[in-house]
Amino acid sequence: MRLLDAELVETREILPRQWLQRYRAPWLAAGARAGQFVHVRTPDYSGLVLRRPISINTVDRVAGEITLHFRIAGKGTELLARGRPGDSVPMLGPLGRPFEVDPRTHHVLLIAGGLGVAGVRFLADESLEAGRQVTLLFGAATAGDVYPSTLLPDEVEYVVATEDGSLGQPGRVTDLVPAYEAWADQAFACGPSPMLAALAALAAGRQARLGVARLGRKRGTGRPVPLGSPQARRRSWLQVSMEQHMGCAVGACLGCVVWGVEGPLRVCREGPVFAAEEIAWEEPA
Amino acid sequence: MRRRRSIVTSGPRTRSPHAGEPRLGLRAPRSRAGGAAGTPAVGDAGAPTGSGRGIGSGTGARTPALPAGTAPAGSWAGVPAGGPVSGVAAAAVDLSVDLAPRRPGRLVLRNPVLVASGTFGYGVEYGEVVDVERLGAICCKGTTLKPRTGNPPPRVTETPGGMLNSIGLQNPGVDAVIERYAPLWAGWQVPVLVNVAGESIDDYVGVVQRLDGVPGVAGIELNISCPNVGKGGLQFAVDRDAAAAVTAAVRRATDLPLLVKLSPNVTDIRPIARAIEDAGADAITAINTLSGIAVDRRTGRPLLGNVYGGLSGPAIRPVGLRIVYEVAQVVSIPVVAIGGVGALDDVLDYLAVGAIAVQVGTAIFADPEVPLRLVDELRAYCAARGLSSHLPLVGTALPARPGRPSAKGVEYRP
Repeated sequence: MRLLDAELVETREILPRQWLQRYRAPWLAAGARAGQFVHVRTPDYSGLVLRRPISINTVDRVAGEITLHFRIAGKGTELLARGRPGDSVPMLGPLGRPFEVDPRTHHVLLIAGGLGVAGVRFLADESLEAGRQVTLLFGAATAGDVYPSTLLPDEVEYVVATEDGSLGQPGRVTDLVPAYEAWADQAFACGPSPMLAALAALAAGRQARLGVARLGRKRGTGRPVPLGSPQARRRSWLQVSMEQHMGCAVGACLGCVVWGVEGPLRVCREGPVFAAEEIAWEEPA
Repeated sequence: MRRRRSIVTSGPRTRSPHAGEPRLGLRAPRSRAGGAAGTPAVGDAGAPTGSGRGIGSGTGARTPALPAGTAPAGSWAGVPAGGPVSGVAAAAVDLSVDLAPRRPGRLVLRNPVLVASGTFGYGVEYGEVVDVERLGAICCKGTTLKPRTGNPPPRVTETPGGMLNSIGLQNPGVDAVIERYAPLWAGWQVPVLVNVAGESIDDYVGVVQRLDGVPGVAGIELNISCPNVGKGGLQFAVDRDAAAAVTAAVRRATDLPLLVKLSPNVTDIRPIARAIEDAGADAITAINTLSGIAVDRRTGRPLLGNVYGGLSGPAIRPVGLRIVYEVAQVVSIPVVAIGGVGALDDVLDYLAVGAIAVQVGTAIFADPEVPLRLVDELRAYCAARGLSSHLPLVGTALPARPGRPSAKGVEYRP
């Protein structure tokens, strides 16, 4: 974690009110892992007292650059979107805990709802680098909001669902998951809370549905692994990246909690990535 | 913006992935002199370097933004980086304050900038980006007798010029705080005030009795803006007798320096402040957050999980100034101001209305370096004005005859 000024290199609107910005930030590019985020100070300080937490979308370690993908949701992100190349933007990061991929995982399933793609995009690069196969399931309301495939590596299998059926499979992204649950060794999701809750319900019944023993060395025979530890997350089939209103982003203010089965969890410290079993999900509507 | 290379960041980067547990490694107390604070970090090209001289004031020679109308231009605004032409050297400015004059030497801060309870955790969370040892003092997260899980989310939201929070006093309980953090605090030079909350007088006394005598606990800040279960949920802070009773009970339970934090959500703060002083408080902190609500426009329902939140940030500064102004006139114990402090001007305003120290809270979220920058800027301001301490700036806005409640204040109250 470090306070630094990142220089905006390139900014463009890739989807309606969704921006992709490239920043020069060698420290972040060198140290960040998929799933982590930065706490960005918005350019106009008048009246804005909080930074904005934004997932690290991709990193280019050679160029020392990172990209951020965000939607204009209010005044702060609007000001951020108005940034011009050369602007200096204060950032705090990298923050939070990353996705934990089991070393034996070959098939990585990424599940993104809308802007949630920003949370799992980095993991696609990391997984391909490690020689894994990646499928991205993406859901949006309509074709106009679908993440452009040109922004994805060629090696990623990209499957789209739209709620109005205007592109890809009609329906929700969660409807696509059953076809892949046997193929995928691990799944990683980011999106609206009801979507994540539905996926968690799916994941909970997966083992029973598939009825197969896990291959490889028998796991879970040694010491019990504490819930929330990296080991426990690595064993979990579904990991989710959660969102919450955030204050300090370093764990001091306890503002950004989500409720876990063992009590409140700070999204900024224990998260933003959690194993699905850690979260006390509300019943999906 | 200046960057400091924090010595803490030179530690091992491979943090335990149990990031929920702050790194508790003891850091060797650092010498306050030396260039660390004034050394710009890599990539800070073009930033003015500190003069390299000075005790903990690497930026002491930097000229702060000139507060409009507060100083005749030329007296200090044009101070060259090498040192002030007139006045005293920044290093010679003594910003220390005694927050418990009734207990001499028990709570003397090196500078009058504290970090507010709830915004700085237990002092360890920001350790990687802030040199906590240079702060005046740390007020830790509100601590209760038993662990509390706090309010349902969402707990924070931004509002115009401020933010609402309703954390609900989530904390691991006083025993866990003593076990996890006190040994660390004992190794720090910066005093740590434990913010204490409770739902009954017995709760408060129980917490304070456990904290009494624990190495690393420099004092108590009493959060009395909590519902008193014994009195039907009425806050201690809004009831003069309850506020006095809890202060007196805690006073009997400990010899630690005792600060009491006032709530602004009252009709007239002055009788409450007087009662708290009479009950034995060493100092008063003002103000806690203002009660407020935000609505979620998508659902048409209250946004915060707890419905009510506490408003903080620049939006409440005028209220804080008014309350400090009123309190400072009726009590003789020190007043520590809090409420929207984010710049040197705000510090000077609070000093003018009678505070001898300030707490920085919400501003830390936007820029964790604010508290230390304020220390440096206040030092530079004093030096440029030829002051050897900031204390002559205290109370300049108060009515001429101290001790007399302001009749005007009463007339003009809305």
